[in-house]
Amino acid sequence: MSDAPTTIHGFLEGARAGRLTAIRCGKCSAVAIPPKQYCPECGQRAWEPLVLSGKGTIASFTVIRVAPRGHAGEAPYAIAAVQLEEGVSLLGRVVDVPLDSLAVGLPVRFRPVRSRDQTVVGFGPAGTPA
Amino acid sequence: MRRVAVIGVGVTKFGKHERTSGELFAEAAADALADAELPVSAVQALYYGNVVGGETEKQLHTGPQAASLLGIPTVPTTRFETACASSHAAFRHAVMEIAAGISDVVLVGGAERVLSVPTDESTEYFAYASDAAWEQPLGLTFPGVFALVARAHMAKYGTTEAQMAAVAVKNHRHGTLNPKAQFRKEITLETVLGSARVADPLKLYDCCPFSDGGAAVVVVSEEVARRARRPIWVLAAAASSDSMLIHDKRDLSRVPATERAAAAAYRQASLGPQDVDVVELHDCFTIAEIVATEGLGLFEPGTGGIAAEKGWTSLGGRTPVNPSGGLKAKGHPIGATGAAQIAEIVTQLRGEAGPRQVEGARVGLTHTLGGNTATVLVSLFGRE
Repeated sequence: MSDAPTTIHGFLEGARAGRLTAIRCGKCSAVAIPPKQYCPECGQRAWEPLVLSGKGTIASFTVIRVAPRGHAGEAPYAIAAVQLEEGVSLLGRVVDVPLDSLAVGLPVRFRPVRSRDQTVVGFGPAGTPA
Repeated sequence: MRRVAVIGVGVTKFGKHERTSGELFAEAAADALADAELPVSAVQALYYGNVVGGETEKQLHTGPQAASLLGIPTVPTTRFETACASSHAAFRHAVMEIAAGISDVVLVGGAERVLSVPTDESTEYFAYASDAAWEQPLGLTFPGVFALVARAHMAKYGTTEAQMAAVAVKNHRHGTLNPKAQFRKEITLETVLGSARVADPLKLYDCCPFSDGGAAVVVVSEEVARRARRPIWVLAAAASSDSMLIHDKRDLSRVPATERAAAAAYRQASLGPQDVDVVELHDCFTIAEIVATEGLGLFEPGTGGIAAEKGWTSLGGRTPVNPSGGLKAKGHPIGATGAAQIAEIVTQLRGEAGPRQVEGARVGLTHTLGGNTATVLVSLFGRE
């Protein structure tokens, strides 16, 4: 429990450094993206850290053409919901994949991505290292 | 629990206005009170939806502001914020308060003013309803959220962009019959499919517009309703929620909060989807209408696109959906939308909808979705 990431900041700091650390319920083995006080599956609070491989496939995606103020200069850019091999999902930018090659089911791999002045969760082609 | 009815409705024209959101609400509220044939002094509480007033008008505490503009500054009032479902959440609160015997006459409504700021600015403010730590930094927009839903639905069921476009064509056709609608112009499939891309696969005409406007409804106890000329009864007012974060949603092709809220509403009313004659639902994007018709049980999962394409949801079809023109053509002043949907269903069940009337409608449903599918309200209404 003490080693499990317990804050949004903790997870995202790790992600910026290239590490994805999820949480696994010590009672029912459900895996979740932190933070969660209680396990949504069994209601217990017995989280253990689980290091994610970063490998997954695109569950859905979009190409943002009309961006909010603050991202205007970046459009078009791709955002995907990625199902990771451990069963949890993450939303992130997709980079180094041609926009017209994006597809549901496409294998991708986690990598931190620079967007404006911050580093965010991202994904690149499956074959490339994080 | 006491029975509850709606006896008055009022809606401003939707579109661009030069008045504050509080003023727009007050206009709609005065129309609703006139419709109810009640003096403003009869109002015992005001529940009010307003979402981005803090950003577009630099205005918080909009409940008492609206009450003051209406001329009833001393009634209890609360502003509700459940993103685009705000005034429907306010309505459910009023229904519970009256059912519990606390009040007999409650005014419910909402208003929004967004066309006073540029599109990239309003796009940013609407995105505040997605998560500030996880989603906003990615540059995710609301069209982007529903584009993810659309792509998942297309992958799972084979739903096409032309089927989504059919929703827009239908709602624009309905909008031509509604004098309060923001857009009163027919469009074609080609208009939709050829329009500028916003968030693939959604194009400009798959998206509802930004709108200014207000709406209000007068909600009363049975005792008050018995003295009214044409009360419409509240048969159910249900809510459900879902994970805030997109990464916690298991299946982006569905909106589970719609399914749960609908099940609760049907249970409260002892009715099923087959009993519903007319529907006003949350078509913020064309795909949202398709997924909502499935979640409400009107059509099997995966067949909502086919239903739109075949005209089953058109006026004259099996289950007319959004005879008002929906958010797509009528407009979507987000704080007002839930109340405006209720106003349309009340008008339909009274048989007063003119050229857009669903003939013989006895049971109506309103469905309002908030944010990235995390809030849903479903209410059912009936004639005596």
